[in-house]
Amino acid sequence: MAEFDKADIEKLIDGVLPWPATQDMLKSSKDADRFDKYVEIMQARVDFKDPILLPLTPMLFIVSAEGERVVKCRCGHSFGDYRANWKLSSLINVRDDEASISEIYKGREMPDAAWVQIREYICGGCGAQLEVEAVPRGCPPDFDFLPDLDTFYGEWLGRPLPDTVRFEDKTLDKIAEWSS
Amino acid sequence: MALSLREETKANEEAFKKTGCLFGLETLARKEADPGTYEAVWHILSNLCNAAWATGCKVSSSPIAAEGGDALWGLHTSTGEAVCISRGISAHAGLLSDMIKNFIDLGYEENPGFKAGDIFENNDPHYGGIHSPDFDMCMPLFYDGKLIAWASCVSHVSDAGSVTPGSIGFLNPDCYSDGLPISMERVGENNRFYPWYEMRIRSRTRTPDFVMGDARGRLAGCLTIRDRLEEVIEKYGLDFILDASKEYVEDSRRYAVGRVKTQTVPGRIRKSQFKDLAMKGKRVLLAKQDIDCAFNLPMELTINADASVDLSLQGASGTVPFGENISPTALKSGLMMGYSHIVGFDMFNSGPIAAWNIEMPPDGSWANPFPLNYEAASGVAWAPAVTWVSNLYEVFGRLFQMRGFVEEMAAGSGTIMTAEFSGINQTGMYLTGLTLEQASQGSPARGYSDGENSAWCIYTPEADFGNAEISELYYPILFLGRNVSPNSGGYGQFRGGLGHTAVWMVHNTPGLEYQCGDAGMRSKMVANHGMYGAYPVVPDRPAYGHKTNVKELIEAQKPLIHGRGDPESPLIASLIDAELVEDNAIAPFVTPEPLQDFDIIVHPIAGAQAMGDPINRDSASVERDLNEGWTTSRVATDIHGVVTNKPNGAFVVDAAATDAKRAEIREERKARAIPFKDWWLQEREKVQAEENMDPAILTMWSTCMELSPKYGEELRAFWALPEDFTFSG
Ligand SMILES: [Zn+2]
Repeated sequence: MAEFDKADIEKLIDGVLPWPATQDMLKSSKDADRFDKYVEIMQARVDFKDPILLPLTPMLFIVSAEGERVVKCRCGHSFGDYRANWKLSSLINVRDDEASISEIYKGREMPDAAWVQIREYICGGCGAQLEVEAVPRGCPPDFDFLPDLDTFYGEWLGRPLPDTVRFEDKTLDKIAEWSS
Repeated sequence: MALSLREETKANEEAFKKTGCLFGLETLARKEADPGTYEAVWHILSNLCNAAWATGCKVSSSPIAAEGGDALWGLHTSTGEAVCISRGISAHAGLLSDMIKNFIDLGYEENPGFKAGDIFENNDPHYGGIHSPDFDMCMPLFYDGKLIAWASCVSHVSDAGSVTPGSIGFLNPDCYSDGLPISMERVGENNRFYPWYEMRIRSRTRTPDFVMGDARGRLAGCLTIRDRLEEVIEKYGLDFILDASKEYVEDSRRYAVGRVKTQTVPGRIRKSQFKDLAMKGKRVLLAKQDIDCAFNLPMELTINADASVDLSLQGASGTVPFGENISPTALKSGLMMGYSHIVGFDMFNSGPIAAWNIEMPPDGSWANPFPLNYEAASGVAWAPAVTWVSNLYEVFGRLFQMRGFVEEMAAGSGTIMTAEFSGINQTGMYLTGLTLEQASQGSPARGYSDGENSAWCIYTPEADFGNAEISELYYPILFLGRNVSPNSGGYGQFRGGLGHTAVWMVHNTPGLEYQCGDAGMRSKMVANHGMYGAYPVVPDRPAYGHKTNVKELIEAQKPLIHGRGDPESPLIASLIDAELVEDNAIAPFVTPEPLQDFDIIVHPIAGAQAMGDPINRDSASVERDLNEGWTTSRVATDIHGVVTNKPNGAFVVDAAATDAKRAEIREERKARAIPFKDWWLQEREKVQAEENMDPAILTMWSTCMELSPKYGEELRAFWALPEDFTFSG
């Protein structure tokens, strides 16, 4: 089983690992401790102390905060329970007309606003652009990933989390609150 | 009494169910006993398939195979599982495997029987084929009188006799116009085609010499596999080869399952994807085609505790009256190819997909058309399929990131817009066929770097746009340019590899049809989403000029057009005078009338998806892109927040101003964006009022909600719409 220096993994993440070393990582059998090293690296880069349970994206993390499993941005801004799509707790900027779309795409590069809207999900804390969706009006936001964290820690990593939660999609509960 | 192949298949299925291992192979005995020979024979078998590819493509003589390598050969177990395949269009391995299984399942072993030298073919989507130009072939291979394996091949012919010339039959209105069907047939015996096979091809395709050339190429490759396999058997023994063949498949399944378990995370992944096909007001064949269509191509993937993978297409929209519907068998093959790029690539064969549970796509959707629409056309069935498979790259890219395997991450693929010509070439010969431009797109952004320019193609690892001179030899065109297209890889921390733009001048022909085809392009929409906050790739928009003054420009030694120019002031409009200039065409289309000498075509090929917030892009990379002409000042400043000066003719980053600009962009974003709930409250009114929604989008939503009631229920619940709400489309 291969093992890689944490420093090299950091360089890889930052896009500065030389190509031969990157190729070596691609071709070698994978290192069993990568997840732990990656989480350690990310933990040192975020502006909060809550332990990271899963890096959801390079910017967003499921963390254990005061006994709750919530999604946090690198800057510490919280998006609530990881089982509801975090996008519902985000700021959003939608480009759905020619004027706003043309700030990004010009002339022949412009899509047709009657076919597609560009949704930008912005962190209310640091202003990071966390995700961009290009979908026709009517499309619910993608719930990109709902992890089964207890199976992951308990069965795959062999170290169960201290508590367990039900593996369920709670997005529509939030909608129900809004519409009642 | 030996089992029939059908009985053996059934026994294999039961053994798999019982043990969870393919063929019931709980141990890989040959591998364990002699890993060196096991590995060596794998490479020998792979090389044998590659030898078939090299031989077959050369015998074929059509530019698509001979220059583009657009073909594939495979070696299968006696029951049809792919053991290994050649280089080439790997999208077909699953199709070939399923075709052999289908011959067995349909009882061909009894009637007409399988014997040495038999040649079987299928290209018929009603029986699992993908589209008529992809001729799938298989031959049973015998040793000591026993059927021990199959050789298979597919090649993409230049014309399969569909209603319009060429092989990208997006205009086909129904299956009757899809061209010459070979419906699960024995097309030859004793290693020769039947005379009537050739007569049918001569009678019903436009380029019979090339189509027969391809047939002979397929056969030559399969015979190469047969002969070489015999040598391998003589060296290593039949028992070893039979055992090892099965072990390679099971080994590959284990590898893929192992990768899922050690490199991903269990849970549910959802990725939406959409595609346009805008044909209203264009040249079409039947009145019912004077419409715009939109596809919903959703992917839901669940990774289970045992690392098996469930896959659902709930929400897929309805069929379209164009050749863009695909059979579930063919779709599965496309999926297997994508999966082999991302997960199961160590030994590419039927193994990895054995751990998938694929829910049958909704009846009557583009992904399973025939239960409700038996006439649905499949002229270019790949078009929605590859667009959908593109999701798989991003989905697994996201999963690998979560485990820290950044080196394995990829964003989604580019789009596929084809160029196909038909007409008389400079030698007086009628030709129709694809150029190979689309086989070299930008590659997806990676977790640690930009994608590569013009070096990748979703449907073939053989990414190669061929030599310009060879295209000029076959088609009556001259290349005026083949350039990297700036800003074609999305905008992100890491951008997709850039695509390129071909500029052609029509030359030496009495008339040439240019079909700007759809093999997975988007022209009204942007392609994919932006992964992790990047902006998506621009839509596909070709251009052309008809009845131009280019001859006069050449005679006067004036500048010609070699590239695309600024998106707001295209060069074709400023440099060329023409009776008809289409500088921002919505693809796909066929030119209203044949193009003539000195007409100009500007045909872009897509770059791939980017990843990451564009203001996190390394400013040195932006500077390099500016100096290479791969991006523009507007994009650098407004989108990446990189401020530059040009002190000595080259762009140089102003670091302090860049930091300030980026801080300003963050603040602007926060000031402009609103809480999701506020947007949701406004947006649900607009959804209900169908505000600024194209009729094609309305039809798409109403068909997918009808075909997948659960999907419809969730969509209504998300917008808190009445239970009986439907869109008017
Ligand atoms: Zn933040």
